[in-house]
Amino acid sequence: MNTNLTDPAFWSRFQFAFTIIYHYLFPQLTMGLAWFLVYWKWRALKTSDEEYDRAVRFWAKIFGLNFAVGVVTGIPMEFQFGTNWGGFARHAGGVIGQTLAMEGMFAFFLESAFIGALIWGEKRLGPRNHFFAAIAVALGSWLSGFFILVTNAFMQHPVGYRVGLDGSLEIANLRSYLFNPWAIVQLAHNQSAALVTGSFVVAAVGAYYALRQEHPTQSKLYLRGGTLVGLVASLLVAGPTGDRQAKMVADYQPVTLAAMEGKFVGSSRAGIAVIGQPNVAARRLDNPIEFPDALSFLAYGTFTSYVHGLDEYPQSVWPDNIELLYYAYHLMITLGVMFIALTAFATFQNWRKRLMSTTWLLWIILLAFPFPYIANTLGWMTAELGRQPWLLYNIFRTSEGYSRVVNNGDATFTLIGFVGLYFVIGLAFLYLVGRELERGPDWQKQNSQPTEAH
Amino acid sequence: MITAWYIIVSLMLILYVVLDGRNFGAGMLHLFVARTPQERRQVIAAIGPLWSWHEVWLVGFGGTLLAAFPRLMASAFSGYYLALFLILYCLILRGVSIEVGGHTEDRLWQQLWGFVFSAANLLLAVLFGAAAGNVGRGVPIDANGDFSMAFFTNFRVRGNVGLLDWYTVSVAIFAVVLLAAHGATYLELKTSGPVHDRSASYARRLWLAVLPLLAAVSFESWVVRPAVLHSALTNPLCWVGVLVIGISGSALAFGLRAHREACAFVASNFLIVGLLAVGGAAIFPVMLYSTLGPQYSLTAYAVSANHTALLLASFWWPIGFVLAAGYFIFVSRHYAGKVDVNRDNQGFY
Repeated sequence: MNTNLTDPAFWSRFQFAFTIIYHYLFPQLTMGLAWFLVYWKWRALKTSDEEYDRAVRFWAKIFGLNFAVGVVTGIPMEFQFGTNWGGFARHAGGVIGQTLAMEGMFAFFLESAFIGALIWGEKRLGPRNHFFAAIAVALGSWLSGFFILVTNAFMQHPVGYRVGLDGSLEIANLRSYLFNPWAIVQLAHNQSAALVTGSFVVAAVGAYYALRQEHPTQSKLYLRGGTLVGLVASLLVAGPTGDRQAKMVADYQPVTLAAMEGKFVGSSRAGIAVIGQPNVAARRLDNPIEFPDALSFLAYGTFTSYVHGLDEYPQSVWPDNIELLYYAYHLMITLGVMFIALTAFATFQNWRKRLMSTTWLLWIILLAFPFPYIANTLGWMTAELGRQPWLLYNIFRTSEGYSRVVNNGDATFTLIGFVGLYFVIGLAFLYLVGRELERGPDWQKQNSQPTEAH
Repeated sequence: MITAWYIIVSLMLILYVVLDGRNFGAGMLHLFVARTPQERRQVIAAIGPLWSWHEVWLVGFGGTLLAAFPRLMASAFSGYYLALFLILYCLILRGVSIEVGGHTEDRLWQQLWGFVFSAANLLLAVLFGAAAGNVGRGVPIDANGDFSMAFFTNFRVRGNVGLLDWYTVSVAIFAVVLLAAHGATYLELKTSGPVHDRSASYARRLWLAVLPLLAAVSFESWVVRPAVLHSALTNPLCWVGVLVIGISGSALAFGLRAHREACAFVASNFLIVGLLAVGGAAIFPVMLYSTLGPQYSLTAYAVSANHTALLLASFWWPIGFVLAAGYFIFVSRHYAGKVDVNRDNQGFY
């Protein structure tokens, strides 16, 4: 980021970054958890096993809390396009407004209309319709992700647009806008990552109960499902999707790739730095430990390919916070590798029927749940810091996009408000989730379901 | 095309105000119509499971506004910067207080969130009312199509105006009373027992208070922007709106008197739709009037997205709206019926 604190764009960026990072802690769990609910509901329908219904009832409450915080923190995101990013709304509103409106009309309405039915409507709806409510909610949450990712992909790799008569952008081809190759790859990568978050949280709750020796059947269900889905999703995040994403960056944003890798000088047979600290002033990576030739292979498919360096581009198109971009990217990769190792070992132990009895592994699974949140955040930081200094890559600069009439005092004032408010929400959220965990999946049974009175 | 999109965007906003307005009203009143913790939970249960469904209409409105009138969103949202963020904070606090307030039996915890819930809803009604007043009066738009407005300047309605002046404050008061009446009518329909009886008596008194306030605000609007009255008289849509107001007003009076609660509530919805529709039709095509000079006013034609964008949206928007109407039917059936004080039948709020 531009370190000049008098720059008005800085405060609008900082506020957007803070509010979006906080907001996205919640949807990533609901998008991941949604398919667990659908699956368990489907198993319950097939087997009439009460355990699956109990799991759905328990997790639907956690889902509902996350959804509620996601809604209230999501509205400021949409509004900031007008409040803080008026220049951007003027220039590109004719394009990105389409998908943001579609998100509301097609995804949000669907999800919010059925979420209540999913959480409280089990008796009234009957098992089959309750299953459909679960599908509707899952579909709504993923559609919402799709539309947002299309919008973001347009900022990363603008396609399907043309410049209108008044100089602002308009959609020339809806299909190429909606099915932007960048959006497809990013969607696959991001949704797999959301599944990682969901499965790690499910597994961690299972580990928590297993270690406390409570709810044995439920904890086994969570642990097995969580670690297996976690393994598949972690592999998908790295496997085709992460790899394709990196190649896409190499093709369309070579400056960004160079900055992510801390590659100041271009070369063929480029290595990947596993460790090293970017020193932008000296234009080198300090204390690097490299895998030889690996970057050439990963970015372009052969060990001898030429990889561009930052030195080949004018400094005016370099991402403006190379250090943070570099660390975000490297930490994301490191965490991703660790997720695969952990879930693979847990799945192996499960196959040997030792998962429930390996106490140290359960402890690690329990303590691991925050890390997918961190990895998701780092991934988005990589994407968005890497896009700088552009709002629309190679078309429209961030410095052109902020609202001129909003001064630093206004932006700082509202940022402080968000920090305070979100702190309180965070406390209330943690308290309520903690209470649901304390009650556990069997709580309703003991109270003969007082909430479903009719 | 632009006219059609002006109507669509207005419709989204009006639907949001009608849907969430009941929650503002019920929320404001809930400390008065409900005296015991159980009764308060009853009020929350009457609005509880649906608040996020209502709130997403605001998201729908925001997205539609950006798609159809991006330059209006850019000017208006950055111009109303602080007021808009106050609205966002209140929306956040309102949602959070519904979700967290009922999750423990602790008395202090419930009192705290009950108060936050009431205050946030009251402030939301004030802010939306003041915002409507600002649209009616106009804002200090300059030659660049931008404005930046203080909360208050000299409380006058011409020139370099602030967010609050005598006119916008009176519209805000009107909005509070109107939405409180709307909320009371909703609670009368949705609850039983003592809460129902108190809501019914509040509804009658508040609707009686709406009448003189409506006359006063209409007169003030004429003083502040005389041209609007002229365009209203020549706009057939305004006459339709007036007709809607008349019919729904009579139906409301009948419903309140004859204890036809559903009739009264439906009429109350249509009454608000009618009022907003008249306002929206009267100011057309000006979306934001400039108090510095009428030539700077932002008209729908000047701030709309270009033709292809509107045409494109005309294909998918109706599909989305029909789907939303389908969910609406599902939601209203699913949550039909009264909420009882002893056993809330709509969840554990």
